[in-house]
Amino acid sequence: MFNLIRRDVILQKRLLMLFIPCLLFLIIMDANPAFIFLFASIYIPFNTYAYDEKTETNILLNSLPYTRNEIIASRYLGALVYMVLAVAITSLILLLFNRSFTIIDIALSIGLFLLFVAIALPLFYIFKPGYISPILMFSFIFLAIIGPRIVSFAADHLTVVTNFLINLSNPILYTGSALAALTVYGASWGFTTFVYKYKAL
Amino acid sequence: MQIIISNSSKEPIYEQITNQIKSSILTGELQEGSPIPSMRKLAKDLQISVITTKRAYEELEKAGFIYSIVGKGSFVAEQNLDLIKEKKLKVIEEQLSAVITNSREIGLSLDELQQIMRILYEE
Amino acid sequence: MDNVVELNNVTKQFKDFSVTDLNLQVKRGFVHGFIGANGAGKSTTIKMMMNLLKPDAGDVKVFGLDYKSHEKEIKERIGFVYDGNVFFEGMNLKDIKRIVAPAYKHWDDDVFKKYIDQFELPLNKSIKRFSKGMQMKASLAIALSHHAELIIMDEPTAGLDPIFRRELLELLQEIMIDGNRTIFFSTHITTDLDRIADYIAFINKGQLIFNKTIHEVSESYAIVKGRKELLDRDTEKAFVNIHQSSVGFEALTDDLAGAENTFGDSAVIERATLEDIMYYMKGGMQHV
Repeated sequence: MFNLIRRDVILQKRLLMLFIPCLLFLIIMDANPAFIFLFASIYIPFNTYAYDEKTETNILLNSLPYTRNEIIASRYLGALVYMVLAVAITSLILLLFNRSFTIIDIALSIGLFLLFVAIALPLFYIFKPGYISPILMFSFIFLAIIGPRIVSFAADHLTVVTNFLINLSNPILYTGSALAALTVYGASWGFTTFVYKYKAL
Repeated sequence: MQIIISNSSKEPIYEQITNQIKSSILTGELQEGSPIPSMRKLAKDLQISVITTKRAYEELEKAGFIYSIVGKGSFVAEQNLDLIKEKKLKVIEEQLSAVITNSREIGLSLDELQQIMRILYEE
Repeated sequence: MDNVVELNNVTKQFKDFSVTDLNLQVKRGFVHGFIGANGAGKSTTIKMMMNLLKPDAGDVKVFGLDYKSHEKEIKERIGFVYDGNVFFEGMNLKDIKRIVAPAYKHWDDDVFKKYIDQFELPLNKSIKRFSKGMQMKASLAIALSHHAELIIMDEPTAGLDPIFRRELLELLQEIMIDGNRTIFFSTHITTDLDRIADYIAFINKGQLIFNKTIHEVSESYAIVKGRKELLDRDTEKAFVNIHQSSVGFEALTDDLAGAENTFGDSAVIERATLEDIMYYMKGGMQHV
């Protein structure tokens, strides 16, 4: 199982070399820290999904001594592992460049990341290969650009909701959203496992 | 031990193998007790299937020409060469008497018959 | 345990094609050839053996185990070679090995190195730039490096030149010196099998026509050629399929002894090659 997660790094050695430059570019462009965290977290998992979408990859993985449950589990656990690593590296770089960021930035990006993976991953196993990567690429960019604006728009205009949220104590708000994100993530995991179990390769 | 097989011969390949090993044993080229290659090795060397050499070895074993020890391989069995020669000699005698009968019918002399024999033998 | 693979009454239905009621046994220690025209169901069958497809009905056993509870144990002991590259395209062999090797408990780096040397494969060149033959060799090197007992190959010789095909067959025979190994391989190039196969399974339109030793095949199937007057309702029964032309008939029989009895010297009776059998069967069975 650990091998399946480690595989991602070997698989995209070259792309990883672009990882740091991309981060630096975003920092220089003065992008929103939350966006930088989100980008960094999604970088490795998304590239792997693009690989795994190919039928051949699924044939290979399923011909090796792995079970289908393990293959899916490695996707979901791997995403978490790489997210943690990415957040750590990104924080380090931001600190080095003396850029300020808050825990809220990290929490927001983690929340969005979990949501994104929870929605995107099953798609790779439901749809025919070839379509999903471009669709996701666009929706990711769309989400990244529009997402923060929607949040601030909502904050300004949907006062009922924001008032409700503001009235919640911080611990409740954070635990609540963390639980919600994890529930969605877990449900997505279960769903994908089920879909993959009966998938014809 | 050398074996030459022909893919275009009408004789099945396993028979070609049994016949050639038999004759190697009868001519004394293969001594009793000496090992012969495993059927898998032989299949590889002849570039034929294992099941073919397996069949050849089984027939040789049945006919008492070789024996196999599990884990050790196959060996040339003790042959009663005198007995085999005697049997062959009897067959030759029978065949020759048929030839002589035929020759007498068309009035072929012994000299002429020997001459034909010599030519054929030396061919 | 004599059978390495057992398919019992296996059925798999697709929209426009199905494999029906397949019963197939693969014996340990032999080369088992799997023939059939393109689209006859060879790949589907192999995929079910590998658990890439699940049968709608019937069961698949490998090494006497079923996939439901022993998936890993089974795949640990299988080496696979597919038609076409399934390895990550842009990668080199060194990286592919780094991904594949840890998957197997019994991966043997020395054996892998031995094959890499023997096949003269470059470790640092992207596999995408390998020739078809080299890709096959790379797959084979990986398939042989974890002491697999069963090597499953789907059309390994397709698209390879004759010299390379010969080399491959030689190599397979070398592997078979270890009597514990079994090779199951599908092909539509039947001359590959004439040389080295011990058993032949023939599938046509999703149905298994036979699964026999090569001796049984050559002792039961034959081509009969003769004058058309020889054909009547009785004699036709001996044939699987008959081709008639203005100069006579040619037919395939699956009962060589019977045909020799019926026709004796009045017809020409020849050994049927696997290709003959496939060709005549393509028209469908006229009797069973």
